[in-house]
Parts: sequence; C-alpha cells; structure tokens
Amino acid sequence: MYTEIYGIALRSLLISSTATLLALAWSIPFTVKLVSIRHESKEAIVGVFNALIGLPTVLVGLVLYSIFSCSGPLGFLELLYTPYIIIIGESILITPLLISLLYEIFNRAYNEYWELALTLGADKFQACKLIIREIISDVFVVSLIGFSRAIGELGVALIVGGNIKGYTRVFTTAIALEVEKGEFGTAIALGLLLFIVILSVILTARVIKRRV
Amino acid sequence: MKKFLMISIILVAITAITTIIYVSLFGRETLRVLKVSTTTSLYVTGLLEKLSEEFRKEYPDVVIQFIAVGTGRALEIASRGDVDMVFVHAPSLEHKYIKRGILVDGRIIAYNYFVIVGPKDDPAGIKGLNSPVKALKRIYNAGVSGMTLFISRGDNSGTHIRELTLWRKAGLNPIGQKWYIESGTGMSKTLMIANERKAYTLSDIGTYLKLKGEGILGRLEVLVDKGEGLINIYSAYIVNPDKYKVDYELAKLFLEFVSSKKGQKIIDEYGVRLFGRPLFYPAYGKENELKELWRVLSEG
Amino acid sequence: MIVLKNIWFSYVDENYVLKNIDIEFNRGITIVLGPNGSGKTTLLKIASCIYKPMRGEVLIDNINYWSLNEEEKVKLRRRIVYVHENPILLRGSVLDNIIYGLIIRGYSKDDAIKKAYKISRELNITSLLSRKAKTLSMGERRLVTLARALVLDIDYLLLDEPIVHLHPSIRELIIDIIRDMKSEKVIVIATHDPLSTLKIASKVVLLDSGKIVNMGEPRNILDKYIVKY
Repeated sequence: MYTEIYGIALRSLLISSTATLLALAWSIPFTVKLVSIRHESKEAIVGVFNALIGLPTVLVGLVLYSIFSCSGPLGFLELLYTPYIIIIGESILITPLLISLLYEIFNRAYNEYWELALTLGADKFQACKLIIREIISDVFVVSLIGFSRAIGELGVALIVGGNIKGYTRVFTTAIALEVEKGEFGTAIALGLLLFIVILSVILTARVIKRRV
Repeated sequence: MKKFLMISIILVAITAITTIIYVSLFGRETLRVLKVSTTTSLYVTGLLEKLSEEFRKEYPDVVIQFIAVGTGRALEIASRGDVDMVFVHAPSLEHKYIKRGILVDGRIIAYNYFVIVGPKDDPAGIKGLNSPVKALKRIYNAGVSGMTLFISRGDNSGTHIRELTLWRKAGLNPIGQKWYIESGTGMSKTLMIANERKAYTLSDIGTYLKLKGEGILGRLEVLVDKGEGLINIYSAYIVNPDKYKVDYELAKLFLEFVSSKKGQKIIDEYGVRLFGRPLFYPAYGKENELKELWRVLSEG
Repeated sequence: MIVLKNIWFSYVDENYVLKNIDIEFNRGITIVLGPNGSGKTTLLKIASCIYKPMRGEVLIDNINYWSLNEEEKVKLRRRIVYVHENPILLRGSVLDNIIYGLIIRGYSKDDAIKKAYKISRELNITSLLSRKAKTLSMGERRLVTLARALVLDIDYLLLDEPIVHLHPSIRELIIDIIRDMKSEKVIVIATHDPLSTLKIASKVVLLDSGKIVNMGEPRNILDKYIVKY
C-alpha cells in the first residue's frame, strides 16, 4: 500500500511540475509580447485571460477528451489515458493564471525598469538583463502558484487520465476514488498528504529563493 | 550561485521535455496494454485488479489498465474506441450498444443481487417480500403519503438503470416527486444519504455489506433480497475491432481467462475472506439461465 | 550642449504635450519652471534621449542623436543621466544601486565601489550603503538616486524635481553639491517650485501647456512667474 502511495506522490509531482514548466515555456514569451504591444485591445486580451482563470477543470477535461479520444481529431496520437495528456491538460489549465499574473509583473517591470535602465546608460541587452534580475523571484512565486493549481486539480486528471492504478493515478484522482468507495478516512489522509507535499515544495522553493 | 541555479533549472526542464517525447514515442513497445473500462462499483470491490493480477502470472508482458467510471460513461468511452474491453452490469444499456455494433463477443461472467434496503422500522412494510416490483409499489404509496423517502443514484449507473427498470415494470414514475431524491453520486454516498434520512434505496450487495461491516449504516437493513427483478448480471464485452483499433487478440485472451474455470473460481472465492460471504456468484454452469434473464432485463 | 530644435511630442495621437520647442541647454544650471502638467518631465526625457520626438531634432554636442545607429546611440546616451522624480530603486543594497551605472559602463567592481563610497560621503549616506534599497524612506531614496546619477561624473545631468518633499537641511546639502558642479557640467532641473533653486540658476525657462512662454535671467523671470502662478 505504501509503495502505491509513494508512486502516486511521485507521479503527481512529476506530472504537475512538468505541466508548470511547459505552461511557463509559452506563457512567458507570450506575456512579454503582450506587454510590448501598444494597441487598445491589449487590455481586452488581458481581461479575457483573467476570466479564463476560473475555467472549470471538468470543462477543460471534457474538451480535451473529445479531441484526444480515439474518435477525435488527435486520437491517432494515442495520448488518452496516459500521464502525458494530463501534463498537456494541466498546462493548458494553468496558462490563463500564469499569463494574468505574469502580465502584472512584466507590465510594471517594463514601465519602471526599462526606462530607468536606459537613463542610467544601459543598452537594450543590459536593460533586459536588469528587468530579468528584478522580476525573477516574482516569476518564481507565480510558478509555484501555477504548480499548486495544477497538482490540486481533479477534473482534467480524472477525465483524460482515467485514474489508472500505477499509471495515471494522482493524488486528486486517488482521493476521489477513495471517496467513491466510502473510505473517507483514507481519502482525508491522502488529502492531508497532498497538502503536506504542496507545502514542502513551496517551503523548499522559498528557501532556495532566499539563498539566491 | 544564481547562474548555477538557473542553468540547472533549464537543464531539468529540457530533460523533462525530452524524456516525455522519447517515452511517448518509444517507451510503449515493450508492454502490451489492455485498456478496460468498467463501472466504479465493480472496480472498487477489487475483483478486477485481482483477476488482472492472476492473468499477469500467465502473461507477464501484459498490463491491464482499468478505467473506472459510471456505467453510462464506461459504455460511452467504449463507443468512442478509447478502450479495448468493457465490464458492466446494465443489460438494457448493453443491449443498445450491441445493437449499434459497438460491443461484440459478450459474455456473462458473474452475477449477484441487488437489495432494497431501508429503515429498520420499515414504514412502507416491504420486509420479506419476494417481489421487488411489489415493494416499490408500496414504497411509492408510502412516499406519496409523506411517510418515507427513496434515494436514487440518479447517475446512469448499473444500479440506477435497474432501479428505473423496476419502476417501469411497476408502472410508476416517481421522478420529480418530493419524496424521490436523486443523489447523483456513487453507491456509498447514496447509502449514507439513505442512512441519514432513514430512506429506502436500491443497492448492490457488495457496497452495502462493506459499509455495514464498517458500522456506518446503523439505521438501514436489507428488506428485500429476493425476486427476479433483483438479479445483477455482470457481462464483459470486447469493443468491435472492425470499428475501432483495439487489441482484439489480447482482449479475447483476457475474456477467455475470466470465463475459464480458473477465472470463475477466483470470482467465486472473492470476498469471502473480507466479508464472510462471497460478493459474486460465478456464471459458470448457469450460462443459459443467465442469458435468458439477461434478455428479459435488456428489454426492460 | 544640448539643443532641441522644433520639438513636437505627444503620448497619444494628436494630443501634443510639447509644441514647437526650441531651446539650448548650456554649461551651468538651467531651471525649467512650470506648473504640473506643463510638460517639464517630457521635455527633460526628450533632452535625455529617452523619448523620440514626433517632429524636430535632438542635438547633443551638435550630433543628431536619432540619426545614429544603436551602438553610437548607447555611447552618446552614456554621457547623459536623467533622474526620475519618483525614485525607483533596484533590488539589492544601496551600494548595488549606486554602482549599477558604473558597472554597465565597464568599470571594475572595485573601482565602482570606491567611487560609490566617495559620493556617499559627500551626500552623507555612507550609513545607508549596506541597507536594502527597498527599506528606505522617501528622502533616503531620493538621495540614493541622486548618488546613483552623480557617481557617474558625466557631463549632462537632468534632474526632475530633485528636492521636493525633502527635509530642508538635506535640500541645502543637495543644492550646494549641484552648485559646485555648475561650471563643469550641463545641469537641467525641472521643478514647479522656484524658491530654493533659483539662487543657483544661470538661466530659467518658463514652460506652460507644452510651450515655452519665457526664458532668461532668474531675476527677470521670477517676478512674472510669481505673479502668474
């Protein structure tokens, strides 16, 4: 039983952290581009992403299911009921959250630090370096927020992952199953364990942040 | 120090992404995977994992993945070709999918009984009846007169479908009435609601026994456990290989295994240790009677 | 010498904040005087080559800045420093902030730190050097941004409201320091309050609604300014 729980924990961590990294990989450049445009539509776009933060996870799960199901357009990839589709799903899920938070950070940083760097004689490259240095720890915090959302979501993991024992079973889906079984004690224990895992990740990250 | 951290983070990210790509492209070939969708109530008994375990002793390079959802969904997933096999217990629904040509090679593998449980004081007076239809009629009347409640699964599960079939046979439609409550959840939660509200409900024997054994359902008792409407037939199907890309060979092997003497023995003995009585009765030897019962139910 | 010829600038469409500005900033201290919203900050930012004008030319020592390539622009820009009215500090210590401009100009860390200490002594802020920049009070921040600019020891110093909201004694200190540089540098100070700064000014420019309304000796201009505002 303990090996199973260990497997679930490891799997949840790997899946959600990979999802977070993936989401960051496209959210950061997108947000940088977004900050630099000078059109009125900029605010509207940000507004859309703000709204999408609250997207229900089951909805995302269902849409992905219909796309990646064998009878769906991307069914040939055979990604359904694998951990990889959960990674994709969770990264899509947290993207609006990341973009919304990163936008605030980048926007402020761009307005304040870009000009400041130029006035102090920086060339464009040095100005970029300055901005990165100034915001890196905020970006780090945003990543942790994204990670927490990913590892704590149920809808996507359940619908496209299938909660397969030893393969796609993660914390949230395991908890859901225990609840279905009426095993509330086990469910709560797993829930607490998930919470402890999230807490440990965040605390470790903060310690690292302080050292750096 | 900072540079080192950033470089290592980037390396980890690159490693993660390349691993994913690599494994998704190449990592699959070593094992044969059989995907099976099933109902949650059957899955949580643990029987399927046990059968899978024993099967793997003979075929160690096979991995059987069970996706446990509600009956309706289990069949729906099959109809999209996302799994190779289905294990369900809802003849009327199964019938529809067979007609659509989605399920083939169906076999009855086990059976047990639903039970009608209710409050110990039994306001509807159904205890000991040997006709579930009669019992439901009495519950209906009791409900209408405000004496009791009935909790339905309301979730298209095997149990729910049977419940609806029985109401139909009784010529009654309780849906929408104040005393008829649809929980929309699994069997455990539904039983617990029934326990809370001192209401009647239809349950599979396994879940009821399990919860009762844990001392949770103090106010409930089995009131009706006999009658042809209560038989719960479990069947296994392979998803039509002509319609979808399924591993027909492997599915057939597993199906044969489950219906074999060996598989049926596992089913027969399952649960005795835990609950003192078996959760399932093997279909072996009774196939014809069961087929007939299945037919009747499928038309309900 | 900074020369602005026929400068027009707007932030949004045709809403011009600066209209047809012609002005020369020479060695000494020029005060740009005007009420809030008159365009002082914009004027200084144009003169520091931070904003590009819609129309007109910006000449630094007779070189047209905006016609240069990127590399040349950076070289020229490094001879000018503009200090914002609202002090923006970087992460890290006060020392980190002060040496930033020197580091990006290629100074070694040791040299930069030495220079930082020197200017800190002049401004009486050596005790702040190891403090985290974000923990400072408004007045202290202002001094740090000033130190950050002064430590560069370059020819062109453009200061936006450098002494507003500062303690009187600190104001005097800063005014003294600026006065001492009067003969070597081109210093432009934007302010809406002339009282403290007029005594060190070589020239005063009156700005109103994006236009220069008057220019000349401090004495002459002051009367007109006080009467009007």
